[in-house]
Order: sequence, then C-alpha cells, then structure tokens
Amino acid sequence: MAAQSPAPVVRLRDVTKSYGTGAAKTQVLRGVSFDIDKGELIALVGQSGSGKSTLLNIIGGLDQPDSGEVEVLGIDTLHASDARLAHLRNESMGFVFQAFNLLDHLNVLQNVTLPSSFAKHHRDVEAHGREALRKVGLSDFAHRRPGELSGGQKQRVAIARALFGSPTLLLCDEPTGNLDSETGKEVIDFFRELNAKDGVTLLIVTHERRVSSVAKRVIAMRDGMLVETTDEALAAGGGPA
Amino acid sequence: MMPIGNLSRMVVANTLRSRRHFILSAFGIVIGIATFVLFLASTEQVAAVLEKIFPLDEVQVVAPRASFLGKDVSKKLDDAIVKTILARPDVLAALPRMNLSFPAFGRGDFEGNDLKFEVGGFADGIDASFVNDDPRTKELFKDWDSDATDKHRIACESAPVSADEVIQSPRAKPKNYTPPPPPPPDAGSASGSGAGSALPPKPPPPPEYFNPCPDPERYYCDDTDHTCHHRVPVVMSPTMIELYNGQFAKSHGLPIADADFVKFVTQRGGLNAMRFSIGLGLTTIAGTNTTIRHKPRRVEAVLVGISTKSMPIGMTMPIQYVQRWNREFLGEEAATAYSSIIVTLKDRNRLAPFGQWLQDDLDLRLEDSLGQKFATAIFVIRLVLVLISLVIIGISAINIAHNFFMQVTERRRELGLLRAVGATQTDVKLVVLGEAGLIGLIGGIMGVLIGVLLAKAVDYGSAHYLPRFPYKPTTWFHFSWWIWTGGLACAAGFAVLGGYLPARRASKMEPAQALTQN
Repeated sequence: MAAQSPAPVVRLRDVTKSYGTGAAKTQVLRGVSFDIDKGELIALVGQSGSGKSTLLNIIGGLDQPDSGEVEVLGIDTLHASDARLAHLRNESMGFVFQAFNLLDHLNVLQNVTLPSSFAKHHRDVEAHGREALRKVGLSDFAHRRPGELSGGQKQRVAIARALFGSPTLLLCDEPTGNLDSETGKEVIDFFRELNAKDGVTLLIVTHERRVSSVAKRVIAMRDGMLVETTDEALAAGGGPA
Repeated sequence: MMPIGNLSRMVVANTLRSRRHFILSAFGIVIGIATFVLFLASTEQVAAVLEKIFPLDEVQVVAPRASFLGKDVSKKLDDAIVKTILARPDVLAALPRMNLSFPAFGRGDFEGNDLKFEVGGFADGIDASFVNDDPRTKELFKDWDSDATDKHRIACESAPVSADEVIQSPRAKPKNYTPPPPPPPDAGSASGSGAGSALPPKPPPPPEYFNPCPDPERYYCDDTDHTCHHRVPVVMSPTMIELYNGQFAKSHGLPIADADFVKFVTQRGGLNAMRFSIGLGLTTIAGTNTTIRHKPRRVEAVLVGISTKSMPIGMTMPIQYVQRWNREFLGEEAATAYSSIIVTLKDRNRLAPFGQWLQDDLDLRLEDSLGQKFATAIFVIRLVLVLISLVIIGISAINIAHNFFMQVTERRRELGLLRAVGATQTDVKLVVLGEAGLIGLIGGIMGVLIGVLLAKAVDYGSAHYLPRFPYKPTTWFHFSWWIWTGGLACAAGFAVLGGYLPARRASKMEPAQALTQN
C-alpha cells in the first residue's frame, strides 16, 4: 500500500481578491492555486503590484479573499473564527515585514516576547525570548530600544520575534527590502540555515534574485496570476541579484 | 481573549508611555470629577446643616389660626385629637406641645451680668421622652415635682422677697464663708451744735441669704411652700445658641458658648452656673392684658442641655410644669389646650396623604415647614449642580473619544502588528478600552484629590475671612464615601464610553492595511 504524502502546510485553490468598487475596481488575484509543503523554502516573486504581498497576507489570515479556498495547517481560514485565526498566527506562524514593525516603547526582549501576551499558556517567556535572540546573534541587545539599533539589527529582532513561538510557517514580506546588500545577504543566509536545520517552512515575498537563488521553489506572479517554474520566474525578472 | 494579567500590563504600559496623550485625555475628566465631588459634597453638607436647623423626621400639626374680635378662636388641640392622630396606622408617635400662656419673666446671672428676659410666649412644654439628644440631658429633663420619693423635698427657709420681685437665684453658702464686717458708724451722726441735726443712722444691710437646700446645685427653696424643689429643667435649641453666639455675645462682651454644652457648662462651674429665676405672672413688657388667677410667684430653673426638640426661639421644659402653671394661673381650659402636636410618621413619603387627611377630617394643618421647602430647594440645586458636572464629564468623554480616534489612527501599524502576532479583535478592543478606563480612573483620582484640596481651601477661607453667623459650619463640605466612589465610577465609566467607538474602529481595522500604513 502506497504511503500517503503529508498534507501541505498551505493549500490555495482559485483564490481571487480585488480592491475598490465599480470603475475603480482592481483585480489583484485572479484564481491563484498552489500548495506549499512542509519544509519548503519558497520565493514569491513578481513586479510591484503583482499581488504577491496580498497573497502572503491572505495566507497569513491578515486579509480575506473574495473567493476561493485557503487552508493553512489544516484550517479553512475563510470560515474560521477571528479567535481561531488569531490562535493560528500566535502558535504556528511568524511574520517578518519589510518595515520591521518593532514597537519603540518596548525594549528588544519585550518586542521579541510580544506574541506571549496573547498566548493562553506560555511558560519561561524570558528564557524563550533570550533563546530567540541567541539564534539571531543578538543576545547582548535584550535591553536596548529599537531606536538604538541598525536596520539589520532591527530586522534580526523582528525575525527573533517571528521565531519566538517556534512557528511551523514563516511568512516574510520583502525582508531585505530596507537593508543594505551585506546585511540582506546575512538575513538570506539565516533563512536558508533556518530552513535547512530546523525545517521551518518559509514563504518569502521578494523581488530580489539573491533570495530566489536560495529558494527551493520560485513562484512568479504576473497580473494576479501565478507562473510557477524556477527558471521562467528568474527569466521573467525575479528582481536584482 | 488574552490573559487578564497580560492585558493589564499592556494597558498600563500603553497608558503611561505618552504623557502628552494622557494629559490631553485626562484633563477634562479631572476638572469634571473635581467639580462633581465638590458640588455633591457641598450640597450634602448644606443639607446636613438644614437638617440640624429643621429636623425633617417630625412634622408639626397645628390648628389654623382663627380670631374673632381680637380673640383667638382657633380649634382646640386636646387629648382627643392626639388620640385620633395616634390611631392612624401611618403614625409612629404623636406628642403634644403646650405653650406657657401667661406672662413670665426670667432673671439670671451669667458671667457677672444681670440678665433679664421675657419667658412668657417664649416657653413651652413637651413630653420628657421626646428630649433624648444625649443621656445626660435625658436624665435631668423630667418632671421632678411629681416624684414623691425625692428625698431632697424638705422644709426650708425661703428668701425674703416681695411678690413683685424676681431676685437672682440665691447661691449656696461657700464652704469657708466669713460674714463681712459691719459697716463703720455713720460720720453724720456725731454730736454737734443744735443747728444742722444729724441724719438717722442707716440700718445695717441684711445678711446675705444662701440657698439652704441639700444639693444646692440642683435644688432651691421655693418662696411659696417653703420646700426644697428641684429646679425646673429646661433645654434650648441650637438656634438659640447660634443667635447668642452670633448676635448677643459679641455686643455684650460675653463668652462664646461652646457647641459642646457639657464642656461649656463644666468650664463655668457646672449646672450651678446655668441656674436662673422665673417670675410666673410677671413680665418685662408693660401693659399686659392677660388676667391671671394666681398672684405672681418665683420658681427657679436650670438649663440642662441643648436639644433640637426645644422650641427654636425660647426654652422648653417638661410639659407637666407648663400644664400645672397654666392651670394655676389661667384655669383648666388652658391646661388642656395644646399649641401643636409633633407627629412622627413611619414613612416620610406618607407626608402628603397625612397632611390631606388632617385638613379634610380634622380641619387641622401641618405647620409651614421651612425645612421641607429648603430641603426641596437644596435638592433642586444639587440636581442642577450635578447635571452641570455631568455635562463637563460628558464633554471630557467626547474629548477622550477625539483623542483616542487620533491615537488609533497614529497607532494603526502597532495595532496591526498586535493582530499579526496573535491578538483577536476583542483583544485589541479591550486594550483600547482598558487604556481609556485607566485614564478615566487616574483622572478621577486626581479630580477627587483636587476637589478635596479645593474644599480645604474654601474651609480655610471661610474660617479666617468670613464673619461668624448662626449655624456657620466649620466645614462647607461632607465627602461621604459614596461621593468619591461615585466620582471614580463616573470618571472610569465616561472615559470608557468615550473610548468605545475608537476601540471598535481599532478592532475592525484590516491588519494587512494597518501594517502597510506609512
């Protein structure tokens, strides 16, 4: 008897999304369908306005599609309650944004442990936070404020926050967009290592080729639709190296 | 929902991180609550002072005044009327008052001053059980003359006085009394020539008469039956004391009477200092037309306490004394006619129907109660002041709403991030509402403190710069516990009300759009 393949971490079927109404209506996603298996590192590439960030937000439950099916870690996010989705984001997902999104009134450790504020049960919060900082190489920065950090350091704090809850799925939206090339390379290498060693499933929205180069799969988007091949995606302008 | 401890920590941290935001939001609440508690506390105290002046738990039943050819022909209030009133189920007690209905004149020594004052028309009697302000007064205020077992009722030699004279109450013989030496012989009686014969020598003054009764502080020797009697116990109202302090003492250079009567009396040598004589049938007013049946005589009285049950201007004694004297000087009719009946109702809210029944069935009425009119006025004033305060607090709630709408807009990205890391819509709403509530609570505490400080300042100004007047309170404010807890509850409640719509908007924000805000 053939072994059943494990369920995908993310399953999308005919997802559509538009903004605006009437004449101003813009179709951002036009029937997007794909799966993400556990342990994959996927780069989602495309020009600005191609709908990649919208797709990432829908997968993360931060936005709702107009139609289609979205299943993340076995949960139908279209029909799940707000509390269920929040719990999913808190326990099983991590987000890394282009703009870092750190809270200036909290120190580094407090930023990293922010997800614990909404967890029903969380032990050893400080210990887990320090472990996350250790992973990103910022153990000595626990009591500094975001205003005292460089861009690269801020992004590493944001990554530590995303990793605090040991997520199954990491969603990154242009994580190197505000970083210099050197720092950006460090971040990319970190993601690759994270995926290789810890098996964290990563979906990285990017228009940079160097990100695409470390991805196991590159999915290109154009005009709200997917074109999925690594070579074709790169040839179609996966962004600067 | 996020754990309460985490919610509280987040709310406190968010509230206190921006001083500017806190001040902008809390300012209106502080002002509103300060005025709220100040207004309530002042009306509370004014109501308490009014209650002292006009006790509202009892009402006074009187007969409508009627006169014919100058004669009072009002309906007579007698025992039958009292019985009828008592028979009503909504009446708890009915006690008659009786005026002293003939002339009487008082004389006493107070701080070396020979005081003479009219008693007739300014004295009445009430059942002793009604005067129960304090145990000491209660013990002394009774009909001593009806106590046949009183061992001090012994024969005595009374003072040599004439019928028209009201002497000062004689003092007891001091312990180490030495009679004064006789005066020297008159120089004009020395022998001389025949012309310019000398005046006859003046007779020596009679020796001083001392009160011969045992326990002379309380007993005196009656001029009529030559028997020791307990002095007639009288009480005066706080109004009299206030009038004395405010008007009389100042103009006559007399000491201010302490509100603590026991302390005042003790400082002046006990009850002995409060004794005075009453000339029954005599008057300081010339030209009285009252025909009395008995020749005037002197009795002695003693002020035993201050009571709100006393007639406001005058003195009150146990009713039996007044009944006996009215009978003695005017006849049986006067001894059975009451001036009013004090009625205590079981439920104050039954006052109106009781008053109507009095009018319809008994042709009587309730005495115009200034106290009730003042109480109504105070109630209306309090209502208006509270409404003004609530308007101020309401405006501050709108201010909070405005500030929080601005905050929610400024903090969109932060709130979107909270959603991204696992906050539900309810969590976001609770965080914003919690911040509003905490601002309200802290603002409320500051408002109460400012209100109390302002009250202290007003009291200081009143004590040092306002002249004394009857019933001038030592404090113009009474901060009952329900005032400051009500103030805090209003502050938090209105603040949460103001924060509700912004909190709702914050919770409804699409996280994706919020996170992309510049």
